[in-house]
Amino acid sequence: MIDSTLGPGTMMSPVGDERPLVEVSGLKMYFPITQGIIFQSHIGDVRAVDDVSLELRRGETLGLVGESGCGKSTLGRAVLRLYRPTAGTVVFDGQDITTLEGAGLRSVRRRMQMIFQDPYASLNPRMTAGGIIGEPLEIHGIGTGRERRAKVRDLLATVGLSADADNRYPHEFSGGQRQRIGVARALAVNPDLIIADEPISALDVSIQAQIINLLERLQGEFHLTYLFIAHDLSVVRHISDRIAVMYLGKIVELASSKGLNREPLHPYSVALLSAIPIPDPVVEGRRRRIILRGDVPSPAAPPPGCRFHTRCWLRDRLGNPARCSEEDPPLRELAVGHAVACHYAEEVDGSGEQLQATGRGVSSPPASTFAPSAAAAPGARSTLPRVGDTEPTTPLIRNEPLPEVNLIPDSSMLLGMPAVPDERPVYPPRSDGA
Amino acid sequence: MLLSVRDLTVRFRTHDGTVHAVNGVSFDLEEGETMGLVGESGCGKSVTNLAMMQLLPKPAGHIERGEVTFDGVDLTKLSEASMRDLRGSDIAMIFQDPMTSLNPVLTIQEQMVETIRAHRDITAADARARSIELLGMVGIAEPEMRVRDFPHQFSGGMRQRVMIAMALALEPKLLIADEPTTALDVTIQAQVLELLKQLTTERGTAVILITHDLGVVAGMSTRVNVMYAGFVVEAATTPDLFATPRHPYTVGLLHSIPRLDHVGDEPLIPIEGVPPDLRVPPVGCQFAPRCAWRVARCWTEIPSLDPYEPLAPGAAVRTTGPRATHRIACWNPPTADEATAGAPLREGVVPAPPPDRETPTAGRKGTR
Repeated sequence: MIDSTLGPGTMMSPVGDERPLVEVSGLKMYFPITQGIIFQSHIGDVRAVDDVSLELRRGETLGLVGESGCGKSTLGRAVLRLYRPTAGTVVFDGQDITTLEGAGLRSVRRRMQMIFQDPYASLNPRMTAGGIIGEPLEIHGIGTGRERRAKVRDLLATVGLSADADNRYPHEFSGGQRQRIGVARALAVNPDLIIADEPISALDVSIQAQIINLLERLQGEFHLTYLFIAHDLSVVRHISDRIAVMYLGKIVELASSKGLNREPLHPYSVALLSAIPIPDPVVEGRRRRIILRGDVPSPAAPPPGCRFHTRCWLRDRLGNPARCSEEDPPLRELAVGHAVACHYAEEVDGSGEQLQATGRGVSSPPASTFAPSAAAAPGARSTLPRVGDTEPTTPLIRNEPLPEVNLIPDSSMLLGMPAVPDERPVYPPRSDGA
Repeated sequence: MLLSVRDLTVRFRTHDGTVHAVNGVSFDLEEGETMGLVGESGCGKSVTNLAMMQLLPKPAGHIERGEVTFDGVDLTKLSEASMRDLRGSDIAMIFQDPMTSLNPVLTIQEQMVETIRAHRDITAADARARSIELLGMVGIAEPEMRVRDFPHQFSGGMRQRVMIAMALALEPKLLIADEPTTALDVTIQAQVLELLKQLTTERGTAVILITHDLGVVAGMSTRVNVMYAGFVVEAATTPDLFATPRHPYTVGLLHSIPRLDHVGDEPLIPIEGVPPDLRVPPVGCQFAPRCAWRVARCWTEIPSLDPYEPLAPGAAVRTTGPRATHRIACWNPPTADEATAGAPLREGVVPAPPPDRETPTAGRKGTR
């Protein structure tokens, strides 16, 4: 189906069609691998980010998801210019910052801030919360001492901490409170862009929602643009307007949050969606996971052609076409605002795997009576289909009839496991009683 | 009954005072059942299992009272030698971080052969053959070659497969999996969970799955115990727990995680506040300071784990099986509508203020 959310209206930034805040084009970030101690010879590169282009529109949240080692954090840091990119450009608000250094870079950095994953490691244990939050103001020479202290008190209130917190040290706070300090520090210099690198993955489940809600509220209050980096697609989907899925240093799919969730077009995105457990046993009982073979290859020696071809379920289905291992698929736009880097993305759309991963393939009565949001706001229930809704589904691109839902017949096949032999040797228990 | 835990109470003596880690936890497990133990960090879910296995760090940790009956034997009274016999052969464990639970200076083969020969009277060659067979079973390619590798030569997911192979090597009756996939990426998590489910189902192994992830529990377990601050606050079959959560904490947890299958942009309802300081002895419901449904009684009396609905005359509480009784420890449980909404809906419900004395949250270190 042509998803209405893919239309131009929702893909625009709230402020219209002005220039994006951040434009990244052809960005490459290689880390050299060297050999030798004194005379180091360059023997290869870890291609952490390899030819990535994307833009961040003003006021939007762009989610960046992928597994560990896919380059999502490196990309975030390269955008902040914490690294000097190997190739490509980063343009921030019309200014090319790729090679900026010194005072020029510092003045741009005032407008972009970062929130880190680990609220224990990212706060100096010898500084008070007030000192930590006020430090960016000091570095950028903003305000007098008195004004800074007033600003710190404001910020503490903004992130939901009591005013007396400014004299306390990080160890006196819980993880969630520390992350609030990290958020207050990022807000101190009134930035335009905040890069949040796994801001909630170190927190307990009951605290995560507090921080997500805080970030969402602050975005509205301070007109922030977020680059939200996380491995948890359900969290990213909740907070993001658009989502970029990364695999081995490349963006494999870039779509609106709803577009990705309802019509993932890259085989990797489909597998990623299907792997995420849903806290509902009825839904879980009906879903079939796509179990990917093996592990992510090393970014120091990425596979030729499409980087996902070594683990791709679609390639198996299509009889291992040579194109996958020879030609690097470009990111191409299949629907408005929905780009995917797969030669055979059309085959994904409407496939049984896609339907299963998104939950649309399952057709039986609604999952459980526990539908949190639906009842929380009875009138505002989304009209979009959710798991349990039975709705005829039309492929996004093709007009062929729906293919039969071909579920994975035997998971052991995909795991490459030999069948477990029926007769296992039975060993006698030890007789000496040791 | 394979396993029966009664009133298990664990304390840790530390320099900062006694930590009330587990407070009277009871549960049962039948053969072949998979039970989830869910809760946040510090809720006592791991300590419960360490205590069952007599693996509490000594001398700080000790079982204050309680019984752990496994196969008719009270484990708390067993000698260290008989306990060592039991571990690995009848009860096996898998931990979160496979790198720290494998010996980095021994090959996989040496470790597996050692485990097998410690419990079974077989030759080294047979044990080696069995190791290779087990590695193949958990989906490691070329097991004959890989068995001679060291742990660092395996990826995180493969190490966890090795751990599963070692845990199942001696066909245990009970497998305790403590956050087995938390350190893994989501696609690798799917592989490992699938494998775990398949192997334990084939063998009829009972599993205690300890996790903070309600999604994992929903797909893997038949029954769930939800723990908070050392108490089991809700016990139910998995379908019951997710369809009709009854304890305010469970309700709060389910409302604070974004669900992948919800397409709308519903706001999350977080649980306000932070978990209690376990050094303060519990005097009331431990969840009361964060609870929207609390009444005056919650501050002063610890609720016991009782059936949510009155039992039919003559019926007894079922602690195991697919028809286990839905039990909660709560003085003022949310109604079904409130559980769905995630907030109290009854007219005039105001969370009871703490009584006029030192409350369980007061006296926290760092509160000035």
